[in-house]
Amino acid sequence: MAVGESQLETDTGSRTEVDYGWRHTVSTVMGDTTARWGFYIVAFVFLVSAYTMVDSNLARLTFGAFEDFTFAEWLPIFDHPERIPPPGEGESNVPPAFHAEGSMANPLGTDPAGRDYFTRIVYGAQVSVSVGVVSTLIGFVGGTIIGAVSGFYGGKVDDALMRAVETVYAIPPLILIIVFTVFVSGGSPDIIYAVFGVGIAFIPVFARIIRSEVLSVREMDYIEAARASGVKNRDIIRRHVIPNSFAPVLVYATLQIGVTILIVAGLSFLGYGAQPPTPDWGQMLSVSHGYMHSNVWLSIWPGVAILLTIMGFNLFGDGLQDALDPRIDD
Amino acid sequence: MRLLRYTLYRLLQAIPVLIGVTLITFVLANLAPGDPVRFMLHGQEVDEELIRTVERRYGLDRPLHERYLVYMGGVLQGDFGHSIHRNRPVLDLMLARIGPTLLLVVSAYAFALATAIPLGILAAKRRNQPEDHVSRIVALVGVSTPSFWIGIMLILLFAVTLGWLPSSGLVYPWWPPETYGHSGYGEHALETVRHLLLPMIALGTLQMATLMRVERTQMINSLQGEYVKLARAYGVPERTILRKHAFRAAQLPIITIVGLNLSTALGGAVLIEYVFNINGMGRLFLEAIQQLDYQLIMGITIVIGTMFVVGVIITDISYAYIDPRVTYGEEE
Amino acid sequence: MTDPLLRVENLTTQFFTEAGTVRAVDSISFEVHEGEIVGLVGESGAGKSVASMSLLRLVESPGEIVAGEITYKGRTIFGLEETADGSLSERPEMLSEEEMRREIRGNEIAVIFQDPMESLNPVFTVGGQLREFIELNRGLSKRVAREEAIRMLREVGIPDPEGRYEEYPHQFSGGMRQRVLIAMALACEPSLIIADEPTTALDVTVEGQILDLVDDLQEKYGTSFIWVTHDLGVVAEICDRVNVMYLGEIVEQAPVDDLFYETAHPYTEALLESMPRPDLTVEEIQSIRGVMPSAIAPPSGCRFHPRCRYAREACKRVHPDPRRVATSADGETHRAACLRHDVFESGYEASAPLEHATALSDREVERPPGGEGGE
Repeated sequence: MAVGESQLETDTGSRTEVDYGWRHTVSTVMGDTTARWGFYIVAFVFLVSAYTMVDSNLARLTFGAFEDFTFAEWLPIFDHPERIPPPGEGESNVPPAFHAEGSMANPLGTDPAGRDYFTRIVYGAQVSVSVGVVSTLIGFVGGTIIGAVSGFYGGKVDDALMRAVETVYAIPPLILIIVFTVFVSGGSPDIIYAVFGVGIAFIPVFARIIRSEVLSVREMDYIEAARASGVKNRDIIRRHVIPNSFAPVLVYATLQIGVTILIVAGLSFLGYGAQPPTPDWGQMLSVSHGYMHSNVWLSIWPGVAILLTIMGFNLFGDGLQDALDPRIDD
Repeated sequence: MRLLRYTLYRLLQAIPVLIGVTLITFVLANLAPGDPVRFMLHGQEVDEELIRTVERRYGLDRPLHERYLVYMGGVLQGDFGHSIHRNRPVLDLMLARIGPTLLLVVSAYAFALATAIPLGILAAKRRNQPEDHVSRIVALVGVSTPSFWIGIMLILLFAVTLGWLPSSGLVYPWWPPETYGHSGYGEHALETVRHLLLPMIALGTLQMATLMRVERTQMINSLQGEYVKLARAYGVPERTILRKHAFRAAQLPIITIVGLNLSTALGGAVLIEYVFNINGMGRLFLEAIQQLDYQLIMGITIVIGTMFVVGVIITDISYAYIDPRVTYGEEE
Repeated sequence: MTDPLLRVENLTTQFFTEAGTVRAVDSISFEVHEGEIVGLVGESGAGKSVASMSLLRLVESPGEIVAGEITYKGRTIFGLEETADGSLSERPEMLSEEEMRREIRGNEIAVIFQDPMESLNPVFTVGGQLREFIELNRGLSKRVAREEAIRMLREVGIPDPEGRYEEYPHQFSGGMRQRVLIAMALACEPSLIIADEPTTALDVTVEGQILDLVDDLQEKYGTSFIWVTHDLGVVAEICDRVNVMYLGEIVEQAPVDDLFYETAHPYTEALLESMPRPDLTVEEIQSIRGVMPSAIAPPSGCRFHPRCRYAREACKRVHPDPRRVATSADGETHRAACLRHDVFESGYEASAPLEHATALSDREVERPPGGEGGE
């Protein structure tokens, strides 16, 4: 008969079982206003970076058919992001919002080299998004393997791995990644080292989460049943443990993309991420740092772009969390 | 007594982590392709014989594990080696720079806690009301904005445009006022605060945003706790419930997060010191990286790792101080 | 009969949720006299806990007391009146929130909650929590309150009370914590203690000890109790009078012996049958058929009719209120809300039995003669 009672004793509805299906997840995420905005922002940033990625690789994608062609010729709002205009052409470098002399040809002004700032901001999305996604993926895959093994086998393997995780955790990621980037690249850092550095630095965090999920999944009856019926450990991990530990890690990964973009922006700002002339928001802030007093707008736009992008991932991640985990409140 | 025993226990636990930190640093520093001396010379053409001499002098001709043991032996005696570029002991260089970093990080946390706790409690108390929504937006923007960009924006607004606050450097309160030409301790204190304000906010905003949301969730949970119901049923005033009964138990996760986020804060200090021209460990690290001064890089990484570990131990001990269950080790 | 200590009339508490209005407590009336232990019995979800929290006006949002009257020692804890424009407003003599807090909660009506593990704050010492409540409710100084706290800990049978005063809740066993909560309630010297399933979380031997302790202390201090429980065994052991609740309503109200020997409501009957007893095997114990329906849309007529083996057509139509069906030897009233009793004149006898009821009564096993005593 009676087991436990709360203040609200009466059954307040028929919410007996929670539906974990994909359709449910999608409708919950899209039903939440903030999560929906997060999704729109993320989708927008992805679209923009997909467009720029195709555009800047058009020649390669079409095997040289469009050698000198860019979309910029169709869509005149974009200039070529790396084209430095001849003297005279890029002179009006003050954006119209800041100065009456500004021209709408450069809505956000131009950078010190005379390149259209709006175009460079748009093309900057590509670096941030791909860096965020790729390095999160590295952390995710690495962490899943280590965490699943560690959580599933337990004992000494687990102890050793967790000590290693704690150790990497002790060095601030930014410092660890700079050291990694500089030494591995032999003193000439580039974005690719940063991507791997960030990915590797976050393996421990993912491993830790996967591990605790695996530990809770491991005790479940169906794992016991699979073991008892002689399924190999590796197959149990692959077929049962990982899929069932997946949801919280997915949420974490979405939020982690935001963190990654934040860190890579810092790296590029210090000069250990994207290198000029690649348009990258952090790197643009690094350049504009020297013009902070004279050309204020140069420092504003890339930061706004970073802020909005990360905010998109955070909003979307929060929404995903609410949808996947009904226990979490708010 | 029980706290003392617990402290010793935690210190012992930290040893393997610290060894791990030195090991990672050492391995990373030796990942560079080619031999270290040539690497440090940025590819300049130097006489082969000279390189060999330098290698012998610094023991670089010996196998890696031997070098590690020698290095660790030195570290244990407080000898972090010698900076080749500056020709000074690494320890001296670091000691001269550690003060500003500690000042910056500690005040950033003070700022974060002083704002996050009251705002989090307010949001919990006024759940789903305008105050709560505002706190939610502040937190979201706070975790989504790069700290260095907040720094740049603060400089542009308060230093460049309004001219209210200085945009670079710190005033060290531990130096005598005369060093800065201050008339007395009053002016000295004021200038210290004026210089500290912007970098402190820039570094503390991320922490503030994170802590505020945690504080809110914890207070909501705690306020729904059975012991809060009991206190209400015994006529305890609502204010006392909020400040005492619900508050104390809710602070436990905050303490843990303060400890773990120290890692982010120390990393952030590198950026903030760069933006605000503060001569701390972060700037020293960037200079060392620029010069590929690898003795110095190793020293700094180890010291910063140690700062994190010590910070976590301090927060663990204060956790144990608040939550009696930890030290008795008999949690059900 | 003298004025009762507590009189509850037509108390109605509702929760306004997105799914609809939950009628957690629906027009219940009962009394508690000085020095007696009154049982409030029912399955979980019956509204017992909400009813008891309503007595302290501590129903949490979105719940709200919407009607009825609660009078305690002649003071109005809750009461509404109709204003000139026809809407309801609180009566002027109703105690303010501040008066409730200062004068009623703790020092007049104290509570003991179900879960002794969660009810004590893990980060304060047991003694400190006890002292705080004593200080607050009896206006004693810190020092005196501390002595009183230690005295009460001794009183409820905690060994070495001076030493344990300084300890934390996690260092106490479940039974010991429940003793602390009892000490807490008694130490504030209330006239009424609401015990909300205080022994449910404990194992049986400890439960027995706690019940004995409460029996002794009740005799010594003369405190009245409202004992909220789902366990009729406990009721038989300590209660003087019993109210049986089903879906927010009181369906039977009787002195404890009458309830067991002259059971007047089919729900009580079913509860008695579902009790584990040494003379029946597990197969022979009857569990109550079906689950309790939602209190958002309770069944029409008698709320128990879908699960009742005596249900007839009339039960779907007529909603019975508890009426006097008998008077016991010592002049106490026995009330029940069941149409089978003549006082209802609802045409029960004439109407046709419902299908499921026939099925239920077929299932009935041979019951041992001599009634269904829980002793």
